[in-house]
Amino acid sequence: MILEMKNIEKHFDDLEILKGISMGVDSGEVVSIIGPSGSGKSTLLRCATFLETIDGGEILYMGKEAAHTDANGKVVYVHHKELREFRSYYGLVFQQFNLFPHYNVLQNLTDAPIEVQHRSKDEAEETAMELLRKMGIEDKAKAYPYQLSGGQQQRVAIARALAMKPEILFFDEPTSALDPELTGEVLKVIRQLADEKMTMVVVTHEMAFAKAVSNRVIFMAGGVIVEQGDPAQVFDDPKEERTKQFLRVFER
Amino acid sequence: MTLSTMLSTMAAGMLRTCGIFALTLIGSLPLGMVVALLRKSRSPIVRGIIRVYISVIRGTPLMLQLLVWYFGPFYLFEWSIRGWRFPALILGFIVNYAAYFAEIYRGGIESMPVGQYEAAEVLGYTKTQTFMRIILPQVIKRIMPSITNEVITLVKDTSLAFTLAYQEVFSLAKQISASQTSFMPFVIAGVFYFIANYAVQFAMERIEKALNYYR
Repeated sequence: MILEMKNIEKHFDDLEILKGISMGVDSGEVVSIIGPSGSGKSTLLRCATFLETIDGGEILYMGKEAAHTDANGKVVYVHHKELREFRSYYGLVFQQFNLFPHYNVLQNLTDAPIEVQHRSKDEAEETAMELLRKMGIEDKAKAYPYQLSGGQQQRVAIARALAMKPEILFFDEPTSALDPELTGEVLKVIRQLADEKMTMVVVTHEMAFAKAVSNRVIFMAGGVIVEQGDPAQVFDDPKEERTKQFLRVFER
Repeated sequence: MTLSTMLSTMAAGMLRTCGIFALTLIGSLPLGMVVALLRKSRSPIVRGIIRVYISVIRGTPLMLQLLVWYFGPFYLFEWSIRGWRFPALILGFIVNYAAYFAEIYRGGIESMPVGQYEAAEVLGYTKTQTFMRIILPQVIKRIMPSITNEVITLVKDTSLAFTLAYQEVFSLAKQISASQTSFMPFVIAGVFYFIANYAVQFAMERIEKALNYYR
């Protein structure tokens, strides 16, 4: 298993966001997480990527423990240097892209591989150009983020995450900040990655996409996993009333 | 006194003014960054000290601070202050300007969207790498207009060196004007400050333009 999260708890002050969530992701699996806003989907992703610290539970990557809860109920993370090694296992694509505006597209893709992973400039640039070709934006290598459309920026962001050669890629509502006519080009590259058996976890509101691309769908509400399973089952034959209610809203 | 003797006498003062200006910037621009970072220190004692330092510096006249730097060692410790005039002057300017620059840096750093930090963190950058490679370059671009303001003020503030009877252009202008009963030295000094600031604005505009390759 690439990622295992066990009994994850997270609260902000008195507000419980995650109430003991467990999920695992196998190699080559594409998992979609759906659910109403405030259900904790994004927080779960932020916990998995260490942007938020958990208040209970365990996180393992590649079978190695990154965080666990000790006998006193206190969460213990590995040392921050070791945590940085865990970061090489995953990539994260943000809703707001978060490209580095002072770097051109190529630099956005090569700076971390060179500075963080100490790969050679030539190799990093070659990998980057290959990824840009795959994303259909190789002609934008020397452009700066502000010169690109939202869809192009998000594809650069996906390429930037892939340039680190992660084992698993997380997407936090990758199309939510895009104009409707631009979501297609981003979903297309994610679909392409799924065909190549890239392991991915996608928090999304694109139900048709989740149904078509994922191997498994997780429906979250109120900080718990209400239902999960094969997309056809969850979308066409949901077992739980809460799931049915949520999906009805989308059918309208 | 002919105009040309006046000019050549004052030229030495102009050089000294440029000296104060340059040394102050060389010292205070980096020191301001150190202060800005210390202000975000984890230790509440360090944060407290920095806060007091900034509010004292901003709350008292630079002229008074210069006098304290110069005469303080004598009145407080009865040390000899021979040869201390110029070091005291430069220290006073640097410590004063560092406080203002620190606040500008802080404003710039705090204006950075959290997404930039998060993107860098997820990519595995260390805190230092994140600051040096991602945050600082963008902060510099954002704060350039405020820095320009401060640098222009510094050009004019160098005239406060007359408080310590340091012979920069303004002190000389006053002396020559009094001894020659002439208004001319002030005109010369005025033109000098204006040209100096014109050069500063020109240089800063060039830097801002060079940073305009991205938005």
